[in-house]
Amino acid sequence: MQSQLSRDAGTSIDIRNVVKRYKGQTAVDDVTLSVEAGEFLTLLGASGSGKSTLLNIVAGFITADAGRIEVGGRDLTTVPPHRRDLGMVFQHYALFPHMTVWQNVAFPLKRRRVAKAQIASRVRQALEVVELGHLAERRPAQLSGGQQQRVALARAIVFEPQALLMDEPLGALDKRLREQLQLEIKRLHHELGTTFVFVTHDQEEALAMSDRIALLRDGRVVQIGSPQDLYDRPASRYAAEFLGESNLFTGRCDGRTFVDERSGAAFTVAAGGNGVELRNGSALVVRPEHVMLAADDAPLPADHNTLDGLIRDVTYLGSGLRVEVALPDGRHLVTRTGTRSGLRPQPGLPVVAHWHAEHAVVVADDTGAAVSATVSETASTVAA
Amino acid sequence: MRSRILVRAALAALATLTGIYLIAPVFFVVPTAFNDSPFLAFPPETWSLRWFGAYFADATWIASTLNSIKIGLLVTVLSSVLGTLAALAMVRGRYPVRAAVGGLVLAPILVPYVIVGLAVYAAFLRLGLTQTTLGFVLVHTALAVPFVVINVSSALYSYDRRLDLAAMNLGASPLTAFARVTLPIIAPSVAAGALFAFITSFDEVVTSIFLAGPDMTTLPVQMWSGVRVQIDPTVAAVSTLLLLITLSLFACAGLARALRNRRLNRG
Repeated sequence: MQSQLSRDAGTSIDIRNVVKRYKGQTAVDDVTLSVEAGEFLTLLGASGSGKSTLLNIVAGFITADAGRIEVGGRDLTTVPPHRRDLGMVFQHYALFPHMTVWQNVAFPLKRRRVAKAQIASRVRQALEVVELGHLAERRPAQLSGGQQQRVALARAIVFEPQALLMDEPLGALDKRLREQLQLEIKRLHHELGTTFVFVTHDQEEALAMSDRIALLRDGRVVQIGSPQDLYDRPASRYAAEFLGESNLFTGRCDGRTFVDERSGAAFTVAAGGNGVELRNGSALVVRPEHVMLAADDAPLPADHNTLDGLIRDVTYLGSGLRVEVALPDGRHLVTRTGTRSGLRPQPGLPVVAHWHAEHAVVVADDTGAAVSATVSETASTVAA
Repeated sequence: MRSRILVRAALAALATLTGIYLIAPVFFVVPTAFNDSPFLAFPPETWSLRWFGAYFADATWIASTLNSIKIGLLVTVLSSVLGTLAALAMVRGRYPVRAAVGGLVLAPILVPYVIVGLAVYAAFLRLGLTQTTLGFVLVHTALAVPFVVINVSSALYSYDRRLDLAAMNLGASPLTAFARVTLPIIAPSVAAGALFAFITSFDEVVTSIFLAGPDMTTLPVQMWSGVRVQIDPTVAAVSTLLLLITLSLFACAGLARALRNRRLNRG
């Protein structure tokens, strides 16, 4: 499927010191963020993190209390939404129910007074890109959710906007359809070269689709970087817990040694850390796929950190196993292994969990005192 | 189980009685219209169409009918526009006295029509608006607007505003978004409101009695005086015609709604 819609280099979006308050609550708290031309940037965050508010400010539906929005260097802060030339895809499609698919997609072109013949060819192309050419005469109510969202996509790209904004566009779809549309949106981004700003609360979706992810919390960007950056080098405990599963230990970090406050065990960590300030206590993050298991008498490499435990639970995942190891102090560690690793994990088996120092990341413990006492009992499964 | 059957039977009886009560006048009026007798006699002994003939032959009846239609149509247009705008202000507006405006717009339904009629009569006499089309249209519009407002505002409450956001995002100014997206979607409710507005005006007797006179009268007023002054069976014929018109208007509205739903869901 080759698109005939013209491919451009995309337009940059600059969000500068944007603030939005609602009755004493700060929805967006002084956010400064640059989306590069042609980039696929995801605003990731829990509900209430301000991600949707921020997107709506960019689209012009919400007026910020302070700050500026620039698209392609042009200040759009006071420009009404219909003159911003940004495509938007909504979670609930927002297709016009009284129009056919064709009329829906033609709508933005008619508003721009595009010549009739050109409207026809561009609508046809846009519908072909989303593979819905054969449903042009249907009405939205006659389409499935996935088809409706593809129409919404076609409608948002047909006028070749400077950028495409997507507000949880896959949130209303079931898992399989969501994964399929993720791929289609990625392909579309690749084919069009337009700047995409994508809002989601689904960390897997963010990891799978984005060039960069901006993680939002309480109206602020807490970390921005590539999916690998965020996953491998989270800047805070919050980031580590939000993206993927992690094993967490709270304690103190001193140079290359991290002391677990619960067990008193000392772990070696990679030098340099990631430059975070660790004043308010710190946490050690080890991803499950980096924790290996060995029989308790097996020899281990010298630069590995080790913890003794008993296997508590083994879950078969198809591609591998998820193993929970109970630690003597009541906490547990989660590991993921291939089905063909040497050890055959079984509940009750005493094991040594070990990981390479390089794979442990020390982060600031920013989740608040109330939670920090119970870290690993609850924190090992975070994929909410 | 037995008590359930009893309750259902009681409800069915109640519903039937209510239904009979509501349409009973029809069973009196319609046969009377086909009566051959020169009085409003029921039940008729001999049948004839003479009172329909009398209606069409009488210039006063026809003139008042045309007046009512003209006033009704003007009221329909005016109150649909004003009522839709008022509904928009009530549902979407953000201003301090919104609740008060809502009450004010709906007030004409609550104030007794006699009082409205009396007040309007006193004012319109000075302004020279009694017995004029403008006078009738002004009063009837005030009475009809609430019906449009009620219909349209309920449609606006359930309307998904994201459609307007989408329209604006796609390049439509707020006005274009309203004309191309909002209005077509709420159109059935506007049409229902318009229908109610027409019937409100077309049926209105109380305030019209104050405004009517030898120079200009409306059909309901003519009917009223037809019954009051002399017992004229033409009234029954006219009532039957009105019934027919009203029924066919509502039937058309129902049909239009069914067709539209079919178009939107199956096409």
